[in-house]
Amino acid sequence: MDRKLKIRLLRLTAPVGAVLFAVLLSSVFLIAIDKNPLTVYLTMLAFGLGRMDSIAAILFNATPLIFSGLAVAISFKAGMFNIGVEGQYFIGAVCAAWVGFAMPGLPAVVHIPLTLLAAMTGGMLWALVPVYLKVKRGVHEVISTIMLNYVAYSLVHYLIADLFMDHNQKIPEGLGSALIRTPKFLESAMMPTIHAFMALWGVELPGYIYVNWFLMLALVVAAGVGYLLNRTPLGYELRAVGHNPLSAEAAGIRTETVYIKTFLLSGAIAGLTGLSHLLVFYEYMDLDFPKNFGFNGIAVALIGGNHPMGIVLAALLFGFLSRGAEGVQTILGVPMDAVVIMQGIIILSVVVVAGILGRYLRRLEKKEAP
Amino acid sequence: MGDITEILASALRVTMPVLLTALGAIYAERSGVVNIGLEGMMLTGCFWGAYGALHCGAVNGCLLAILMGMAMAGIHALVTITFRVDQIVSGVAINILAYGLARFFSMALFGMATTSPQVPGLEKISLPILSEVMVLKPLVTELSPLIPVGLLLVPLTYWVLERTVFGLRLQAVGENPLAADTLGVSVIRYRYAGVLLSGAFAGLAGAYLSIEHTRMYVEGMTQGQGFIALAAMIFGNWKPFASLGAAFLFGFAEALSFRVAQNKVIPYQLIKMIPYLLTIAVLAGVVRKAQPPAAGGVPYSREGE
Amino acid sequence: METVLEFENVTKRFPGLVANDQVSFDVRRGEVHALVGENGAGKSTLVNMIAGLYRQDEGEIRLWGEPVSNGGPRGAIAQGVGMVHQHFMLIHRFNVVQNVILGFEESCSRFGCLDLRQAREMVEELCRCYDFRLNLSVPVGTLSVGQQQRVEILKSLYRGANLLILDEPTAVLTLQEVRALFENLRRLTAQGKTVIFISHKLDEVLNIADRVTVLRRGRVIATVNAMATDKKQLAEMMVGRPVLFQLDKPVSRPGETVLEMDQVVQGTDAGHHKLNRLTLTVRRGEIYGIAGVEGNGQRELVETIMGLMPYDSGDIKIQGRSNRGRSVRDIRAGGVAYIPDDRQQRGLSLAMTVWENAVLGLVRSDRYSRWWKLCTDRIRDFAARKVREFDIRLSSVELPIRSLSGGNQQKVILAREMSVDPELIIAAQPVRGLDIGAIEFVHRQLIAARTAGKAVLLVSADLEEVLSVADRVGILYNGAIVKEFIPGELETETIGEYMLGAGKEAAVWTES
Repeated sequence: MDRKLKIRLLRLTAPVGAVLFAVLLSSVFLIAIDKNPLTVYLTMLAFGLGRMDSIAAILFNATPLIFSGLAVAISFKAGMFNIGVEGQYFIGAVCAAWVGFAMPGLPAVVHIPLTLLAAMTGGMLWALVPVYLKVKRGVHEVISTIMLNYVAYSLVHYLIADLFMDHNQKIPEGLGSALIRTPKFLESAMMPTIHAFMALWGVELPGYIYVNWFLMLALVVAAGVGYLLNRTPLGYELRAVGHNPLSAEAAGIRTETVYIKTFLLSGAIAGLTGLSHLLVFYEYMDLDFPKNFGFNGIAVALIGGNHPMGIVLAALLFGFLSRGAEGVQTILGVPMDAVVIMQGIIILSVVVVAGILGRYLRRLEKKEAP
Repeated sequence: MGDITEILASALRVTMPVLLTALGAIYAERSGVVNIGLEGMMLTGCFWGAYGALHCGAVNGCLLAILMGMAMAGIHALVTITFRVDQIVSGVAINILAYGLARFFSMALFGMATTSPQVPGLEKISLPILSEVMVLKPLVTELSPLIPVGLLLVPLTYWVLERTVFGLRLQAVGENPLAADTLGVSVIRYRYAGVLLSGAFAGLAGAYLSIEHTRMYVEGMTQGQGFIALAAMIFGNWKPFASLGAAFLFGFAEALSFRVAQNKVIPYQLIKMIPYLLTIAVLAGVVRKAQPPAAGGVPYSREGE
Repeated sequence: METVLEFENVTKRFPGLVANDQVSFDVRRGEVHALVGENGAGKSTLVNMIAGLYRQDEGEIRLWGEPVSNGGPRGAIAQGVGMVHQHFMLIHRFNVVQNVILGFEESCSRFGCLDLRQAREMVEELCRCYDFRLNLSVPVGTLSVGQQQRVEILKSLYRGANLLILDEPTAVLTLQEVRALFENLRRLTAQGKTVIFISHKLDEVLNIADRVTVLRRGRVIATVNAMATDKKQLAEMMVGRPVLFQLDKPVSRPGETVLEMDQVVQGTDAGHHKLNRLTLTVRRGEIYGIAGVEGNGQRELVETIMGLMPYDSGDIKIQGRSNRGRSVRDIRAGGVAYIPDDRQQRGLSLAMTVWENAVLGLVRSDRYSRWWKLCTDRIRDFAARKVREFDIRLSSVELPIRSLSGGNQQKVILAREMSVDPELIIAAQPVRGLDIGAIEFVHRQLIAARTAGKAVLLVSADLEEVLSVADRVGILYNGAIVKEFIPGELETETIGEYMLGAGKEAAVWTES
């Protein structure tokens, strides 16, 4: 077979194979609790893909993961590991929340972009700390970002429990004290869903699903990241630094500047992560604001091979898995958490397969050279 | 005075899981494998510790937790050492996997995703003679037996690393695996050993949390303590005694934060940040220079690929 | 005489190449047996098979008449093989004793516990026996290179090695240390040990070896008695054609000064400067060669010129402009090309494609990008043109550059660096690890550039290379130029003395 074709084919089929392997391995756990894996998977497929509300739910689930996945991937490409997306989106969200409730009188066309800007700034600021420490003090970003995630959790907790706490809320009957949460967001800061837009095309989305314009923004950002990496000087320098900072430096690329730009960009994208939930579904920020989008973003980036298109697909896969899990839980009584296991196994098998494949391809390439 | 020993005693209790995990992390890191999956391994220990304690008693619970911690570590070892996948990547996946497994089995075995029933604890011990001294009483009476065990593991770990053949070789594969390999020291075997030990320690730490600390399994009960352990190990410069110091410092800050929270002087969320901020400060060289193992984080392959 | 080691039709393949092809030769007890060959001739693969790191695909290797065990490195050690690698296999954080016993702790441990006192006594005894002077309790990372090599030999002896393999042992040593090493080796062979000595420095080989086996492209060309051969014959066998030790070189016509280094001081750790008031000038139309033993400030010299390292005092001027406060990019934009000594680490991004590497560091120029858009078509055209111009052998510029041979990789660097039409070319070890054809190509390029009026600074650890290529030579010792001369002006022996610090700086030097 033509070697180039073989390489390309392997690159495409390998992740699919890895996912199938993970599915197979997960079956063990289903059998362990006396469920027929085949029934479970078929139910998942039927429920997850066969209904309009499921499709919408998948899109809603996938939106934050596209942002966080891109944020992780862009740091990967520059040879860094931004585990801090988790903290960055928390800080981004709390900044957006503040703009969302504290600035009355703005029209939506100003207010919504302002919240986005606040979120991006917050994410960037939180990303600036580790990259500054890396460049100036040689602190490895993995450790510093892990630590900053926990600092962010505590800081956000403090902010919504203290500084931003809504003291004017009506205390619901039967509750002794006020809820720990920010004031309600103003109407002008809330991102609309895409229901009206879809209705124009004759698609009626159910009202209890909150798929919104952040999805479109995520796709635009994905395309932008793809363009940036492959078609711009900055993207080229970013990859050069990622592959070998020593040679990049010797060639005159300012590696420190590239690190800083990359991390700020990563932080800005990370900042947008939680907004599709915060500014659509929630009306205020409280302690229920969803965690783990950042960590799952790492998984999404890995499964998507750090490629924007792959990340969108991987995010959809994750969205499908959690929607499908809801289905099998209600229909078959299989615990939803079987899916989280599956996610873990998928990541491991994808990275293992990618590693082995990478080494194999390198050998093929060596044969290619005279 | 009594207040201080009271705080010290509570600090010792919160120190224990961090200390145990940090000691385990030393074995893995000194062998050259970064293990950020400790959080997940600890959580695994929490769950199986509670399960074992519920059905076969607290001691067996601890053993089961150690075993299951090692099983998770085995996955990390397989993926990073045999398949040479990036160690951070694997660690992240281990954490996600462990979280899912704990929920799944909690649902399957306890019928609830988030908590277990109350479990029996280990028999408490009191140190003789010392417990007669009133001031020390909170420190030496009604102790979990795992506390003296954990403290004894500190000199033991030091001794293993510095005074045994195993320790010498373990450090060698973490510093210069190729050199160790040319001398016939199996890099793979010693790295597996290091990672499995870290899983065992993390598992035991998890068991301490669920069996001794809260007397039940609660979802996500590790609350990042695996990462704090990593921080303590770094703060302790990859050395057992210094890691004990770091873990205790963090524990003390935590114990203090309970007190302060009652007094409402400083918001306790801000105190919770201290271990993390301290670690960053250490790494930034504000306190002193960090000296990680030379080959840490780098997968080893003889043919250099 | 007793045969210690025997190779019979041994073949070893790697993906995409045959490293050893039907290799047969033998090594006799008590001799120093040299293995010579160009880089990539298969010397390292061969010894790695003896040391148990690789296994042959075909043929048989016999040690003392027994087939080599397939027990890996440990098996080889058990059969009395001791390997001293070119890159020392030492744990820098361990002290000498720990390094020596590592892997073979049986005789100084009980039930897995180390008896450190006994271990120390055993190592001290060995040191006495072979007259090795070493401080046993400091981390080996703090020892000098020569001392580290002694630790390596000690390790082998501790393991009871009868066959010592030394891979390029002199590459990093001073002349003095080389002499000491040769004395030690003679003492060892006199006691019945056997030594395999791998090198491509033919003078040294003829000095120390009893017999020489020549390898070329994985094959054994011949095994000859050192007494019965000479340098020219060996070189011819290595390369496969007559070798000229002289280069064709038009007369140098130096013009104005391009690079000026004035009293440059760099690095101040423990009161010892890496560059110690270094002063030199390089003019248009000349190649200025830096000779000297490695580790005397070569890297610092090059990296301060390029702006990769800051300097503490003094000044560096390129075409009259001071380097102080300028970035690498800025210095390069002023017309400086750089061929780094470590091609794969400093010169290329191995995972990126050939065309991407062809413009590494250049994409910000108007030729290859418009503000935010990379002109990929133009870059590909450029790369394809350079591939033809420099005769770079490859099947596609879309392949990662890692798949190219060392010579072709170096040609990509040359093509890139020359494409900016530089005024000053900094070439650090530009031919290290290349085969003779590529070496000639690189040297011709440098000479052509200087003849066209460029200034060239050539840094090399190979004195012969410096003497044949450079127009003017400075000897770098302990961070300073201790002697300048024109090739042919000084005897090799005199140059050697300067390289060891016989100049005025000698008083400052104290051996650690």
